[in-house]
Formats: sequence, structure tokens, C-alpha cells
Amino acid sequence: MKWKHKDLLGINLLSKEEIEYLLERGKYFREFLDCSPKKMKYGEGYCLVNFFLEPSTRTRVSFETAGRLLGMEVVNFTSEASSFQKGESLEDTAKTLSRMKFDVLVVRHHQSGVAEYLAQLLPLHVINAGDGMREHPTQALLDLLTLQRKFGYFQGLKVAIVGDILHSRVARSLTLGLKKLGAEVFFSGPPTLLPLAMEHLGAKIIFPVEEAVKGVDVIYLLRIQKERQEAGYFPSIREYAHFFGLKEKWLDRENSRPLIMHPGPVNRGVEIGYSFTEEDFSLIEEQVTCGVAVRMATLETLLQGEEQ
Amino acid sequence: MKKILIKGGTLVFPQKGVFQDVDILLESGLITRIGKGIEDSRAHLINASNLLVGPGFINIHVHLREPGRETEENLLTGSRAAARGGFTSVVSMPNTHPPIDNPILVRYLLLRAKEIGLVNIFPVGAITVGLEGKEMAEYGLLKEAGVIALSDDGRGVQDARLLYLAFQYAQYFNLPFILHEEDENLSRDGEISEGKVATLSGKRAIPRVAEESLMARDLVLAYRTGARVHFTHLSTSLEVELLRWFQEKMPVSADVTPHHLLLIEDDVLGLGTEAKVKPPLRSLEDQKALKEGIKEGVISILASDHAPHPSEDKSRSFSEAPFGISNLEITVPLYAKALIEEGIINWVELWEKLSYNPALFLGLDNKGILEEGRDADITIVDPGTRKRVEVSNFESQGKNCPFENWSLPGWPVYTIVDGRIVMAEGSIVESEFC
Repeated sequence: MKWKHKDLLGINLLSKEEIEYLLERGKYFREFLDCSPKKMKYGEGYCLVNFFLEPSTRTRVSFETAGRLLGMEVVNFTSEASSFQKGESLEDTAKTLSRMKFDVLVVRHHQSGVAEYLAQLLPLHVINAGDGMREHPTQALLDLLTLQRKFGYFQGLKVAIVGDILHSRVARSLTLGLKKLGAEVFFSGPPTLLPLAMEHLGAKIIFPVEEAVKGVDVIYLLRIQKERQEAGYFPSIREYAHFFGLKEKWLDRENSRPLIMHPGPVNRGVEIGYSFTEEDFSLIEEQVTCGVAVRMATLETLLQGEEQ
Repeated sequence: MKKILIKGGTLVFPQKGVFQDVDILLESGLITRIGKGIEDSRAHLINASNLLVGPGFINIHVHLREPGRETEENLLTGSRAAARGGFTSVVSMPNTHPPIDNPILVRYLLLRAKEIGLVNIFPVGAITVGLEGKEMAEYGLLKEAGVIALSDDGRGVQDARLLYLAFQYAQYFNLPFILHEEDENLSRDGEISEGKVATLSGKRAIPRVAEESLMARDLVLAYRTGARVHFTHLSTSLEVELLRWFQEKMPVSADVTPHHLLLIEDDVLGLGTEAKVKPPLRSLEDQKALKEGIKEGVISILASDHAPHPSEDKSRSFSEAPFGISNLEITVPLYAKALIEEGIINWVELWEKLSYNPALFLGLDNKGILEEGRDADITIVDPGTRKRVEVSNFESQGKNCPFENWSLPGWPVYTIVDGRIVMAEGSIVESEFC
């Protein structure tokens, strides 16, 4: 496939075929990750900078691992102890990094649209690792890869996403991806975190959660942030856990027990209770491994596009 | 449980808007038969000739003061007052000490109510933690524990965003709101209504906009969110107009208190602190508008806002005395005087507003209706006999009542809850009867 995008900014900008291509490459890298030793030379001579202006460990380490396994040089930029503290603007900092001749910039920022802004500003490849409440495309890709490996199909697959949809870039990107691939998506959660306008993403809102998860193949639980309670969206963590945390009765469906996904890290006792022994119905650990694989696929694909 | 046969009375069917001279048999907590000439030698017989027999009255707004101020009123004294007042169910407001803002307190109240076993007590949960207007209470857990609605009664919710989110969040749990509307920046330390009396007496005024502006805001919030809201104790004509306008667009309801239909601001001069109440007594024009709203059906529920206070507190200076009127056991006769004697509505319509409509709003499917299979909650009223109000005889501990010595018609004579007679001929039936 001839790749026509300089950057990976959002699932919204990708065609079904492009998503499928990235998943195919992701699948290849996922299998490669099961081998040891695992070092490729494909990315040798390329340089990646992780430009993370919002706390993140998982995603940053996942990108770093993906880059290194491809043979790339990886540099981490964090906002603590950086020029930001000295009052330098986002634009100037990003331009400086660009002048250092990095090939790929992976950005995370709390404002929606920053990845796109940098992509227009800078000549290097920009990968969006989460911008505000907008998109987190590599998270969606890793979720899709996990689903594809488990089910082998998307057409007619039923996924219920539960929790703070309003503030979730994960829910946005995943829903856009699932819809493009022919799956059905249902949203549920506290109504304060699930305004009706969220249906513009192509999902159907169903209350209560018990109804939304009826007959689905997958329940995708979103991480709830403590700040949302402080901002008044729901009254307490214990109430959230009681009504919106995973329930045994959501899982007890004859024959087809739904599988569980979560973008991590799980708030134990909140989205998923301590009582659940997860091995048999959880895809959460597999999601982590698929994360490295799709990030390798993304890096490879963007760099390959450059060669063409 | 013994059977009860009520013979010779006129049955009131508020759901159909009709009266019928038929008998009714109660058994095991349910209405088991309605019809002409029912005979049952094993049943306890109530002769109801010249009496009205209808589904039990449901009072959507009372203060029982428990926990925290049990010496002023509590579930037992409040239940006795309710039974005497012909109420088979009361909805108790959460502004207690501590307020009913968490599930443990709700469970406590329901256990106490069961222990007392006189009337049904339905607790309301707080909209905000501690009624402080700062954060949402745990509506889901409150509902699981048994609250029937949400209210910060005694205070309005000042923060629009908080109520906006609460309106959205509560729908997940199908909880309706009972709203006390008062913008505290406007009511401030006001004592009585703005108007002639405040001007002449120099008392601090509570402007009508204090209630109206918050009600208007909350009508809009409810309209945009789809929340089910009910406005309690309307007092101004503009409130009735606002309600009428929004009823074209969405289901929304309101209630009044008997004192706002029988007293006006001028009465404060003679009655003193006994007439100090929130919202304050307004003008004759406002009172007329409330009655018109009732006649039209815009105001579909009649409540009490029974607010008992100790005499020591009410005997302070006007400015220091608390707001509130104790009226639970005379609410029905007060409405009979204000509405039926004046020809504004008839008994079946009164029953609709005191039983059927509150049951409908609260989702009490088996109450408010006379029909075989429904709950045996029955109130029997003597429409003809007049009696004088003797506040000192109140079962309620709250003797703060401005209606002392008033002659009123329409007193309840039997209150039957869950198939058990709890009040007969004006007296509480102390033990399991017979």
C-alpha cells in the first residue's frame, strides 16, 4: 500500500483500508514480539523524540520500546524541568526539537488539536499520542489489533464502552475505528459523562449499563479520573464503583460471556473490582503487548511512506 | 390480618373523577372487593354513611425532624399527627441533623418507620451533601437505600451547574426532584413578603423574584435535561404563570400549602411569628392566582409543608423566630375550607390532588387509586361536620399553628394503612386493632 500521510493524527483521517493495513503490519509485529532476541534494523539511523506534556508512563514507554526494537534512537522530552518552566512557548520548543533533526515526534498534550497544529508547523512525522479529549489513534489501533486477534472479524462485532465517554479520547478514537470496520458500538455510563451529542461518533447510548452490555462481545471499561468527581460529574468513587464498575451479572450471559478491555491503568476496586480473577475473560494484558506492536507498525509505515 | 368492610359510604375514585355509593372490602393489606351490598360476617365493619371513602392521602411535603431534633418532632409524633390528619403516606424532607444525604440514614429512618408502623414514611434524599449546595449526594446509593425523591428543601440550590449536572445524573436512577426555590442573594435576611405590610412594619422584605427567578432557571434546566421536577410551596402569581407556560412543553408539577391559600401578608400583623413562614405569605392577588392555578389543574398537588418548631423558638422576637407552620393534622380540613367551601374544586378533585397525583408523581403504582388489588391505604372523611381547631390537642409536638380556634369542615375520621385502622374518630388506634 502506498502510504500518503506524513503523520498519524487521528483515526478519523484514516480510511478503512489504511486501518486494515496498519493492523496487518501490527499483527506481523505482534508475532515478532513473541520471539527472542528481538531487534530489527529497519529503523536504524532514524531518530524519535517523545514529546510528552502530560503525565504518561505506559504510552511513552510503549513508544520508546517500539522505536528501540526497530533500531531507532529515542529521546524523551518531559515537561518537568524543561524549557516550559522557563516560559518558552509550545511553538518555540517544538521548532527547536525539529531543528535538532528528529525524524519522528510523538506528542501528548492536554489540548485538543495540538498534534495537528504541530504537524502543520513542522516538517517531521508527528504521531498523536493523545491530544486533549480528541484522539488517541495508537490506543485505538492496539485495541483493534487485540480484537482482531481474538475474534478475527469486525463486521457485526458488538462493543459496549462504559464510563467517562465525554472526556475520553480513547473512546472517541476506538469508536471511530470500530465503526469504520463495521462493528456496533454502545455507550453507557453516568449521564453527566455521556451527553447525547456523543452519538455523533456513531455509537448508540443506552441506559442503564445493564441494558447496554446485554449481548455484547466486549465490554470496554474506561478509566475514571478522580478529577471528574472533584469537577462534580458524579458524587463519589464508591457510588461510581457500585453502579458503573464491572459486575458479575454483566458477565453471566449464557454461552457468550463478554470479554473485558480497559486502556489501563485499571483503578482496582473502581472500574474492576478486586474479586475478579481475570485471566479467562480479560484482554487487558494482551492490549499492552499489542500496543508495542501497533506503534512499531505505525513508525514503520510513516518512515516507509518517506522512502516512497 | 383482620378483614375490614366499609359499608354505606360514598367511594371517591380520583383516577376516574367519580363518586359511587358502593362498599369496599380490605384484606391482607389489599383492596379485595369493591361493589354494592358486600357482606362478610368475619370482617370488622365500618359504617360509612354520610362519609367519603377514598384512597389514602399522600403528603408530599412534611418535616419530621428526625434525626437530630426529636424533641421538636420525630417519626412517632409525626406519624401520629399524619394518621390523625388522614394521611396514609408522608414524604419526609431531608433537612434534619445530620441531613439525609447518605444511605445509612435512609435505612435508619425506614427501620424506625417500620417499627412505629402507623403510616408509610417515604424519605427524600438530599440533592447536595449536607444541603450545602456544593456537591451532589450519592443518588444511586440513596435510591437503593429507599429514597423516593431528591430535595434540598429549606434551601434552594444556588449553583446552576451543580443542579444541571444533578438533573442529568439523577435520571439514571429515575429520581424526581422536589424543589424549594429561593435565590439566597435575593431573599437574604428577609422576614416577610415585600409589599404593604413590610413597608409599614419596617420588616425586612423577601422579594417575589427570590422564588420566581430560581424557578424560571430550574424550569429551563429541567426542560433541557429532561429531569422530572416538582416545585413545592408556590406563593406568587408569576410562579403559576411560569408553570402554566412550561406545562405546554414538558411534564412538570407543583404544590401549595394550605396557609398560602388561607392567609395573606396582612395576617402577619395579627398572628405574629405563627405566620412567619417561607415562602412568606403574599398578597391577595397572589393567593387568587394560586387558587386559579388549582382550579385549572396547573397546580396538581396539595401539600402541607408541616414544619414543627418548639414554642420557645416561636416566642422569640419576630426577627429571631424560625420560619414554619405546624399543620399536618388539619391540612385536609384547611383545604376543605379554602377550596371546597369556596367552590373552587369538589371532593373528588381534592382527592386527586391529595392522593392520586402525588402517587403518580412519586411512582407509587399501588397507591392513590381505589381498585381491587391495590394497597389498602384508605382515608375516610366526614365532609359535613365542622370542628374547631385546638392546637393544644395536636399529636404533633409542633404547636406553632396560626389556625387556633378556626372552625373547619371536612375532617378525616378514619385512616387505614396497609389494611389496618390507625386512626378512628380522631383518635390514634394504639395497638393492633380488635
